[in-house]
Amino acid sequence: MPREIAVLDALVPSLLLVFVFSLLLQWAVDWVGGRYGLYRYVWHPPLFRVAVFFCCFGGLGLLAMQ
Amino acid sequence: MTTQSLIRASVTLFMVALAALLAWALWQHYMYSPWTRDGRVRARVVQVAPDVSGLVTEVAVADNQTVQQGDLLFVIDRSRYRNALQQAEADQRAAEAAARAAGADIRAAQASAAKARAEFAMRQAESRRRDRIAEAVSREVRDNAHSNADAAQAQLQAAQASHQRATASQQQLLARLQQANAALALAQLNLERTQVRAPVDGYVTNLELYPGDYAHAGQAHMALIDRHDFWVYGYFEETKLPNVHVGDAVQVRLLSGIRARGTVDSIAHGIADRDNPTGANLLADVNPTFNWVRLAQRVPVRVSIDADSLPEGTVLAAGMTATLTLNPS
Repeated sequence: MPREIAVLDALVPSLLLVFVFSLLLQWAVDWVGGRYGLYRYVWHPPLFRVAVFFCCFGGLGLLAMQ
Repeated sequence: MTTQSLIRASVTLFMVALAALLAWALWQHYMYSPWTRDGRVRARVVQVAPDVSGLVTEVAVADNQTVQQGDLLFVIDRSRYRNALQQAEADQRAAEAAARAAGADIRAAQASAAKARAEFAMRQAESRRRDRIAEAVSREVRDNAHSNADAAQAQLQAAQASHQRATASQQQLLARLQQANAALALAQLNLERTQVRAPVDGYVTNLELYPGDYAHAGQAHMALIDRHDFWVYGYFEETKLPNVHVGDAVQVRLLSGIRARGTVDSIAHGIADRDNPTGANLLADVNPTFNWVRLAQRVPVRVSIDADSLPEGTVLAAGMTATLTLNPS
């Protein structure tokens, strides 16, 4: 994946797009978790949400940087 | 503590630990892996300057034209240099004639020396003869014969001296001839150099020279970009430099999206210290910076481009922006 992407002629780092995508992904995971009551198995849901987001962003970012 | 709460705590803590690990790995990768968006395509630019001054009478190339080594670029008014060549030719012929005349002078001097020698021999023989028959000739006649012999000897010495002088003057004239030959060669070279030719294969760029302009010797009037020598300068932050090694493979990505392969050629060993210019009285003028935030300096790394990896027909221009990613070997 290129290190920067032109969005409307502005070059932005691809990591910014990964960040936005991770937000969407985290939102989807959060929705699924809430819908099926998976947060019953979680100790601190807000901390868990933040951790899920960091996992998405870190993992996808590392993939994108390859 | 129930099993339920144990599972809850361990799932959460596992997720937090994984998140911390991934975030740390991404930070390390982003900050220290050797890549930079700050790359520039560079080329060897030859500044073509004429070797002689004069009016430009003809510009034989168009802007952005491709030229081969030795192609005519522009011509400087030849009439002055043609005149100088004729003058030098005439000078050379005059010097040649003078040298030949000096040769003849030497032969003349030789002949007169021979004549003086013969004269001296005769006078000497005469004087000796008269000495032998001293009782038959008067004293006056004998004295005359002696002085005649002395005079003939003096004349012989004078003739020998003038022979030496003629030889010296021939050497002088031969040296003049060599000077004239050198001047002729210089005039020929100058006339040749009125035609300015391409020193390398390349592209004429930003042509700003027109017939009628006055071209000064030694002053660059045309930029020629060497066709065979393009490279990329990647300005790597100093934090990333430990992972850059000479010989590493590099992926070059131009802003247009074109990709090429490259190799790290060399790493610069110095950049200017912007915080330490010399003050007016030769003392260091150190900038009192606020040092909570420190910017990583950027060090140029020279990357050669593998020309075969460029797509057919790619226009590579010096000054283009490139993103460089190293794949450490």
